[in-house]
Amino acid sequence: MIKQSQGARLRIVDFLLEYLVLIAIVALILITAIVSPRFLTVDNFINLMRQFGPLSFVALGMTFIIVGGFIDLSIPGMISLVAMVTLMLVDTIGEIPALIIGLLLGTTMGFINGMILVISGASTQAKALFITFGMSLIYRSIALIITGGFPMNWGTLFEHPMPVTRTLGAGTLGILSHSFILFLFFLAVLFIFQSKTFLGRAIAYTGGNLNAAELGGIPTKRIMIFIYALCGFMTAVGAIVLFSRVSVTVPTVGTFFERDAIMAVVVGGTSLLGGKGSVLRTVMGVSLVILMSNCMNLMGVNTHMQEVVRGAILVLAVWLDHRRHERG
Amino acid sequence: MKILGKQKAVIAILFMLLVMLFTDSNFYTAGNLFNLLEAVSTNAIIAFGVTLAVICKGCDLSVGSVMAMSGIIAIILINGGMHMALAIILAVLSGGLVGFINGFLIVQQKSEAFIITLGMGMLVQGVALLLTNANPVSASNPSFQRISGESWLGIPNIALFMIVLGILTFLLLRFTSFGRNCYALGGDYEVAEHSGINVIKTKWFAFVLTGTFAAVAGVLAASRMNTGLPIAGVEIPLMVNCGVVIGGTSFAGGVGGVPQSFIGIFAMFLLRNCMGMLGIHPNVQMLVLGIMVVLIIALDCYAIKRKKEDV
Repeated sequence: MIKQSQGARLRIVDFLLEYLVLIAIVALILITAIVSPRFLTVDNFINLMRQFGPLSFVALGMTFIIVGGFIDLSIPGMISLVAMVTLMLVDTIGEIPALIIGLLLGTTMGFINGMILVISGASTQAKALFITFGMSLIYRSIALIITGGFPMNWGTLFEHPMPVTRTLGAGTLGILSHSFILFLFFLAVLFIFQSKTFLGRAIAYTGGNLNAAELGGIPTKRIMIFIYALCGFMTAVGAIVLFSRVSVTVPTVGTFFERDAIMAVVVGGTSLLGGKGSVLRTVMGVSLVILMSNCMNLMGVNTHMQEVVRGAILVLAVWLDHRRHERG
Repeated sequence: MKILGKQKAVIAILFMLLVMLFTDSNFYTAGNLFNLLEAVSTNAIIAFGVTLAVICKGCDLSVGSVMAMSGIIAIILINGGMHMALAIILAVLSGGLVGFINGFLIVQQKSEAFIITLGMGMLVQGVALLLTNANPVSASNPSFQRISGESWLGIPNIALFMIVLGILTFLLLRFTSFGRNCYALGGDYEVAEHSGINVIKTKWFAFVLTGTFAAVAGVLAASRMNTGLPIAGVEIPLMVNCGVVIGGTSFAGGVGGVPQSFIGIFAMFLLRNCMGMLGIHPNVQMLVLGIMVVLIIALDCYAIKRKKEDV
């Protein structure tokens, strides 16, 4: 009898730990709705949806890296360089080719990251952390050097009109913004890729146990390069969405994106230990991060206090992740 | 000599010093060497603490924010009328507290070091911003500036602090059971645990010391500028951690030490100083720094990989 009730209690605790993000999201919505009547308005909803911008694309890419058992700090550099190169090329080669080159550039940068890690044999997160940090410095300094440190202003500077970028940045379909639709598209594709294809599952095996995956015949090196290239591509998409919304883009535009992306992925419940996690969890994580800042803004919380809360939530999420892992 | 043979960083330092002999710059002037020493000192003090964490197979990315926060706390308390010594002790203890929390989450709760310290860095950065409302604060008491602003026999005080703390850390690692236990548990955590070392206590204390050292560096830096800057950025912790690794304290854990870390930090800041003296644009400097970080850490990984394959 006692054993049974203990078992039941354990199951409840496990359930709570498993769906903590969802509970937190619901709680956050309820509290804010009660405290601030502005929260449940259409305007705020559209505003919230618009926030599903660059960060959510980057976080989708980061999910695969973290599930694969690695980490990528080069995102700020990649965002900056993709945004700058794309905007610089628009005048000479036209908008669509420039956007394509931007996407290719992002993928190539991710590919280079992966290659360096594979060649040097960096097999732990800590090593990947420092190498990608160095790569971020390199990419960002290239962005600063080619632009001379000046911001790019596509609203007035360019002769060439940029219809696609403009629609992406401001256009809506019904109440859904175009960038949100693009996000849903990538989410669907990546979700199917992650759960239904061999490669998607192989990434999780690699992250779960690198040696076992290698012995099991999974080409772990190629998978490492692939996840970094994928993250580079998604970061490039994020960079394009980022500059489509504003008219002036500075060369250091990507700062702190790596931090927020890691936070969104981990808060969503994807384990930093690798092997476990999904893009759907990342969506929850991104939602929580966005909702949190929306709520805090509506309640008038000091910006610096928000920083403290964000740090505390990241620490808490990592801690809970490890607790969950300890429980089995 | 053994250290020198293994040190790629020493060769780099000698190379840079040699190159600067033949360039027409103000590198070999007392003023510049003084500046270089001051810049190295602050970061070397942080690095001594980080060395402890890295030897224990961890790392600490919260040191930059801790540095900012402790300097601000010291200045705010002094401006509030508190006795200077007490204010400084409290500021240093605040860093120790952050290290204590880091240690609790990393060692006692077995969480991943780099991500926990990244999060703690964010949190502490927020506290620093909150305390100052994002504005730099300066101390009203002129004797605060004298702590590291003055010099003794031509050596800046901050460098003296660095030397004393370096020797203390060196002795701690070499001649105490705590230091030897750090190496043991960094080399193999399980073996250390089974041979009766209190691994949790030892590693926890290492993180407390890391936070404390960062706070000491923060107070000294604040005293030198007479200002507490709330924004530390992510560069300082990553550069210090990289510098430690460049010196030869490997992420594999269990190897390294204070002299190596000092050499690593010195190489990094010497490179910065040389490039500045040669009039290289800051953006290009960042590029060179990035290439150096990637190259040296990738080479470190490559050496470990080759060693594994040979066995």
